[in-house]
Amino acid sequence: MNKIAIAEPSYILRNGLCSLLNELPEVEVIFSTDNLNALYARISALHPDILIINPLLFDYTKRATIRAEFDQLPNLRIIGLITSYIESQHQRQFAGVIELNDDLQRIKSTINQVVNTFQSDSDEPDTDPLSDREKEVLICLSKGLKNNEIADTLNISVHTVITHRKNIVRKTGIKSVAALTVYAILNNLIEEKDII
Amino acid sequence: MNLSSNTPLLSPKIKMADAINQYHSLLTILPRLGIPLGFGEKSIGQLCEEHRVSEALFLLISRVYCQDDYYPTANELQQCPMTDIIQYLITSHKDYLENKLPHIEHHLNTLLEPMDKKYSTLISNFYAEFRKEVEKHFEYEEKVIFPYLRQIISEQEATESATYQKNTFNQQHDDIEDTLNDLSNLLLKYIPAEISPVERVDMLLDMYALSSDIAKHAMMEDRILVPYIQLLESKRHE
Repeated sequence: MNKIAIAEPSYILRNGLCSLLNELPEVEVIFSTDNLNALYARISALHPDILIINPLLFDYTKRATIRAEFDQLPNLRIIGLITSYIESQHQRQFAGVIELNDDLQRIKSTINQVVNTFQSDSDEPDTDPLSDREKEVLICLSKGLKNNEIADTLNISVHTVITHRKNIVRKTGIKSVAALTVYAILNNLIEEKDII
Repeated sequence: MNLSSNTPLLSPKIKMADAINQYHSLLTILPRLGIPLGFGEKSIGQLCEEHRVSEALFLLISRVYCQDDYYPTANELQQCPMTDIIQYLITSHKDYLENKLPHIEHHLNTLLEPMDKKYSTLISNFYAEFRKEVEKHFEYEEKVIFPYLRQIISEQEATESATYQKNTFNQQHDDIEDTLNDLSNLLLKYIPAEISPVERVDMLLDMYALSSDIAKHAMMEDRILVPYIQLLESKRHE
């Protein structure tokens, strides 16, 4: 369940959006307001996951983005509620935008998108190089061994082999065994003659 | 490059130059449709008429290119000559094989020049395998899938022998994109800094462009051809 706060000056829009969002089972509107002061006063205590805010409420043209206003809430995702023409360069400060003629389906997909990107980049970027174990798994892979053979060779479970493989792919960004083999040779983990 | 579905998109009255200045990727579709550059102030509609390209086709293709969340309506699909889309896809294949890939190959060869043979051979072999896969995939589409589609479009009736699976497109394009992605990562991350730095940036930019073009190519098949066939099939059952 994602908790949503809304900041929108228009009474009609604010309440309209609230009742639309309440039709979605995966979200709950926990707070709505027509002004920034009330928002700033309550937001830390309420801890919403998503803030839907009309950029007209703040000076959206300044260099510091709206995100910077909520430094103390690093997990908060901010969606712009666009009710008048705003240049795309200023819309970019939002994780997503809702526009006046969006239907519920589209609003839903915007929210999902925002929530999903949030999950991937909330983690610290993974800058670790491959661990020794991962290197061993990679060497086995390059030699053409199957998961169960790797498990036997390294004396670990197949499940663990799969976890190591996932980590290797995540860290290197390389999916195919052929390209991973090139990686292993470039990094002098194996010699070309070791490959079958 | 992304538009929300509410923004009024490309229309026949828009100037071609304005459209391209806004959506650069449209530039790749023009030669495939036989529309040359140097068109001055002409509109999309005027150019389509001049070069005998269906306006509906042009708009359908450009929307797939410019709008990530674009799915054509049944009406839009029916307005568009589907055999022309197949022709467009075949021309794209030709463009990949005759222009885009050789271009990348040229970069790759120059780039690998200063490298130890032991390593460079490895990467060129990897690329050669990739290229073979791409050719095989295109050939399969052109010899098996497209003829089948043409047949059901013209006769509106499928022969029993033709097996058409809508997932085929998707999976194979994913593989091509994955391999391109693997290769870009190798070049980006794991080749020593001193190896052809200038050439490498050029090559990576070309590869990213190719990869996104192939993604659009796949979308065209998944979002236009497949639903169109389903439409034909459902009509036939009525």
